[in-house]
Amino acid sequence: MKASAQLPRDALFWLIGSQLLMLLPLLLYLPPWILAVALAASLWRFQVYQGRWSYPARWARALLAIAAAAAVLVSFRSLLGLEPMVALLLVASSLKLLEAKSSRDGYVLAILGFFICLNIFLFDQSIPSAIYVLLCVALLLSALIALNQNPNAQAGKRPLGVSVGLVAQALPLMVLPFLFFPRIAPLWSVPIKRHGAETGMSDTLRPGDVARLGQNDAVAFRAQFAGDIPPLSALYWRGLTLGSFDDGTWRQHRARSMPNYGRLEAPPATVGEPLAYRIIQAPTQQRWLYGLRYAEPQNPGAIAISDFRFVAPAAVEFEMGYRVISWPGTPLEVDLPEWRRRLETEYPARRDARTRALVASWLSDNPDPVAVVERALRWFREQPFYYTLEPPPIVDRDFVDAFLFESRRGFCEHYAYSFTAMMRQAGIPARIVAGYQGGEINPVNGTVVVRQLDAHAWSEVWLEGQGWVRVDPTGAVSPERIELGISEALRDDASFLANSPMSALRYRDIGVINWLRMRYDAMAWQWQSLVVGFGGDTQIEVLKRLLGEITPSRMVLFTLGGALLILGPGTWWLFRPQPGERPPPAERDFQRLCRRLERRGIKRLRGEAPRTFVERVKTGLPEREARQIESEFALIEAKLYEPART
Amino acid sequence: MSSRANSIALGSRLARPLRQRWQRWLRRRLPSAPEVILTQRRLFIFPSAAGLVFLLMLLVMLVAAINYQNNMAYALTFLLGCVFVVAVHHTFANLHRLRLRAVGLDSVFPGQQASFAIRMTAPGKRRYQGLRLGWESADTLVDIGPGASITVSLYHSVTRRGWYRPGKFLLESRYPLGLLRCWTWLDLDFRALVYPQPVDPPVMSRDGGGQSDGLLPVPGSGDDIADFRDYRPGDALRAVNWQAWAKGQPLTTKVYGEPESDDLWLDFSSFSSGTTEQRLSWLCALVLAADASGDVWGLRLPGYEIAPARGEGHRDAALQALALYGMDSDS
Repeated sequence: MKASAQLPRDALFWLIGSQLLMLLPLLLYLPPWILAVALAASLWRFQVYQGRWSYPARWARALLAIAAAAAVLVSFRSLLGLEPMVALLLVASSLKLLEAKSSRDGYVLAILGFFICLNIFLFDQSIPSAIYVLLCVALLLSALIALNQNPNAQAGKRPLGVSVGLVAQALPLMVLPFLFFPRIAPLWSVPIKRHGAETGMSDTLRPGDVARLGQNDAVAFRAQFAGDIPPLSALYWRGLTLGSFDDGTWRQHRARSMPNYGRLEAPPATVGEPLAYRIIQAPTQQRWLYGLRYAEPQNPGAIAISDFRFVAPAAVEFEMGYRVISWPGTPLEVDLPEWRRRLETEYPARRDARTRALVASWLSDNPDPVAVVERALRWFREQPFYYTLEPPPIVDRDFVDAFLFESRRGFCEHYAYSFTAMMRQAGIPARIVAGYQGGEINPVNGTVVVRQLDAHAWSEVWLEGQGWVRVDPTGAVSPERIELGISEALRDDASFLANSPMSALRYRDIGVINWLRMRYDAMAWQWQSLVVGFGGDTQIEVLKRLLGEITPSRMVLFTLGGALLILGPGTWWLFRPQPGERPPPAERDFQRLCRRLERRGIKRLRGEAPRTFVERVKTGLPEREARQIESEFALIEAKLYEPART
Repeated sequence: MSSRANSIALGSRLARPLRQRWQRWLRRRLPSAPEVILTQRRLFIFPSAAGLVFLLMLLVMLVAAINYQNNMAYALTFLLGCVFVVAVHHTFANLHRLRLRAVGLDSVFPGQQASFAIRMTAPGKRRYQGLRLGWESADTLVDIGPGASITVSLYHSVTRRGWYRPGKFLLESRYPLGLLRCWTWLDLDFRALVYPQPVDPPVMSRDGGGQSDGLLPVPGSGDDIADFRDYRPGDALRAVNWQAWAKGQPLTTKVYGEPESDDLWLDFSSFSSGTTEQRLSWLCALVLAADASGDVWGLRLPGYEIAPARGEGHRDAALQALALYGMDSDS
C-alpha cells in the first residue's frame, strides 16, 4: 500500500453510507447535534469530491476538533461514561471522513467503523439491532473491497455482493468461538451509562411518575415459569419498597438508617409450594431486580435486602438473566423490630389535616388495624373514584387531601400514595411497593411478558401475627386493572399508548398482527436467553451436551473439526479445479518423457520443437534406446494429432 | 510501510551469510522459468499493515466485550475474526493458479526503457482483481477477466550493451479486503537486448576507395543500372523495375551500378584508434546511418562477418552482433 494512493470514489461513498447508517440507532441515546455534524461532514466531503469545495485547512480542522470535544463536554457535562465516549468516537469519525484523502484514511475509517458497530451493542442487543449491525458490517467491508478494486475496471463484481458473501461464510464459523470462548470476568471496571434517559421505574415516587410508563410498551422483563403460570392477578412483581416520606416524595430508606446496611440477616422460614422461574430483564441502569414475594435469587452475587427484595451487585447495564424461587405463602417479618416500626410509621403531623381527621374517626369506631384497612378500602370503593392515566394535575402541597376529597381521579400511584399515608396516620406500619403487576402470557412459548406499561404501585401493611400483607387500593377502585391487566382496564382510554401510534400492542385485536407479535416475542425470548444471555452455566450446559465431557482435548478437536467442516466446502469451491487448466494428455505424456530424459542429463533447449528434440536425443543414444524413445514419441504424436483413435 | 520494505530492513540487519542463504532459499523455492503457474509453493501470504491494525482493533474489541460482559460484542468480534480467516482464502485464491509467461523480446539502446511483456492467463471462471506488479514496489494495477489473458509490460531502464536480465519482479494482491497481502517473486528468465550506445565516429576512413568525402558513401554511383535481381520485400519502391512488371514479367529490382568490391563495409578494424567499446559505438552509429540511407552494406567484426545486404532484418542482425560482441552468447 502506498500512503499516497488516493481514496477511490466508490470507497468514499461506501464509507459515507456506512457512517450515517451506524449513527442512526445511536441517536436514541445521543444528542441530535451529532447527526448534524455527521451530515455536514458528509456533505462537505461530497462537495470536495465534486470539486466544488476544498478540504478544510489544518487550522480549521484543529478548530473543529476542539469545538466538537467542547460540544460533547457541554452536552454531557463530562467526558467519562459511555455516552460521551461514543459521542466523541462518532464526531472523531465524522471529522476523519472530512479529511480523508488517501486509501490509508479509508482503512482507518473502516476499522474505526467496526468499533462503532460494537458500541451499538452496548446500548441494544436485540434481534433487530443484530441484523442492523450485520448490515453496517457489510457496508464497511464493501468500503474495504472498493479500496482494493481496480478503479478503472468496470466489469468487477459489486462490492456489496462480495462482502455479503464474506459475511455469509464467516457467520457459521463464528459460532465456534462464540460457543467455546470462556466468558471471563471483566478485566477492569468500565465507564457506565449514566447520561441517557433511564428506562423503567425511578426510585422515587411523586404523583405523575408511573403515568409516564403507561405510555411505554417496551418490555421490562420476561419471565418463564418452570411449572404452571399463576393467575395474572397474583403476579405482583416487587421491585423496590418506598418507606421514607420526605416533602411529598416517597423514597427508599437510606441503607445507613438501617442495621447491617439493610441487608437481609436471616431468610424467613418458607411455607407452601415453591414457584421456580427465570427472568430476563432489560437494562435499567439500576440495581434492583424483580420477583414475586417471597423471592430467593438463585444467582451468585445477587444480594438479599431486609425488605425481602434482592438487588444485583452492580447496575443492570445489559440484558440480565436470573433464576428465582418464590414461596408466595411465606409470612414476612412476623416479629417487627422496633426500629422498623418507627421507620415505617413516620408521617409529618402537619400534612393532610382532612385525611388525618377522617382516619381518626375510623380509629375511634374500631381501633383494630385490620378493620381500619378494610374501612379504607371500602371508602375507596364507595366514594366516586376513577381510574385514569390522565388525572388532573394536583399542585396543592397537601396532595393526599386534594386527591381524596377533590379530584378523585388517578391511577395506582395516587391510590397507593394516599392509602399508605392514611395507614401511617393511623399508626399502622405501611410502605409503598413499586414494581409491575400482571403481564401478558405469550401462548407460543408460555413466557410472561411484562412491559413498562404494566408498572404498578401498591401498599404493604404490617399486621399483628401476619407480618407484611399486600394491600392494593387500586384493585378497590378498578378491579379490571388487576384481573385483566392495564390494557383491558384502559381499553377505551385515549391516553393509553397515546405516544406510540405504531405500537403493535395497539393492534392486538387484529388476529394476524397479534399472532406475529406473539411469534416475535417468543423469538426475542429465545434470543435473549440463548444468545444474549449465553455464558456461565448456560455455556457449561451447552458444551456438556455437545462434547459429553469438557476436556481441553475435546474442545480443541471439536473446534478444529468444526472449522474444517464449515470452511471446507467454501474453500473447495474457491480452489476447485478449473476447466481447461490441465494440459491435454499428449502434452502431459511428452512432459513426462522430458522429465525422464532430464534425469539422464539430456535437457530440452528453450524453444526446441518436440520432434527436433527427439531427433537430437536419438543421435546421442544407443540404437535400442533410440528405437524405444522413437516408438514412445510416435504414440504421443498420434495422441496429439488423432485424439479420436487413441 | 510495505512488508517488502520490512524484509529489506530485516535483511540489512542480518549478517551477510544469512542474507545470502535467504536469497538462495528464495531462488530454490521460486525457481526461474519462462512460464510459471502460481501454486501453493510459490505464494506467500501475511497480514498487511492495515491487517495488523485490524487485528489490534479486534483485540481492543475483545477486551471491550469482556469488560462489558456483552455477548453481542463477543459475537461481532468473532464475526470479524472469522471474516479475516475467510479473507485469507479469498486473497490467496486471487493469485492461485494464475499462469504467467514471458512474451516477446525487446531490444533497446542504452538509456532507454526496455519493456518486458508478461502474458497473464486466468484459469476458469473466476475474475482476478486488483493484481499489482512491479520490480521493487508493485505499482502496475491490472484485472484479468474469467478465462481471459492479458499482456502487461514492465519497464526497466538499461545502461550497458549485451543481454540485460532484470531478474525477479513482484506480483501481489490484497483483494478483497486489503487486510492480507499475498505475494510472490517471479523470475520469468526475462532478457532484453541492449545495443551499444551509438556514437558518431570522429573521422571515416573508407576501406579501399576513399571516393567519398562525406561520412557515408552515397549509394550507387550514377544512374546506370548494372543488373536486375528478384524482388525482395523491403526493396526501395523506386528501385523496382515497374516497366518489366507492366509487361507481365516477374517483379524485379534494379541494382545500381557499383562493383561488388565497392560494397560499403563497416569494419571494426578500419578504425585506427578507440577502445573496443568506442569502436562498437561508432559502428552502431554507422549501421543506423547506413540503414537509413537504404544502401547495401556489410559488417565485419573480428572473427565475424555479415554479408552486404539491406533491410530491417539485416540491420537488427548487425546490431545484435554489435551488442553481443565479445560476450558469452547465452549470458
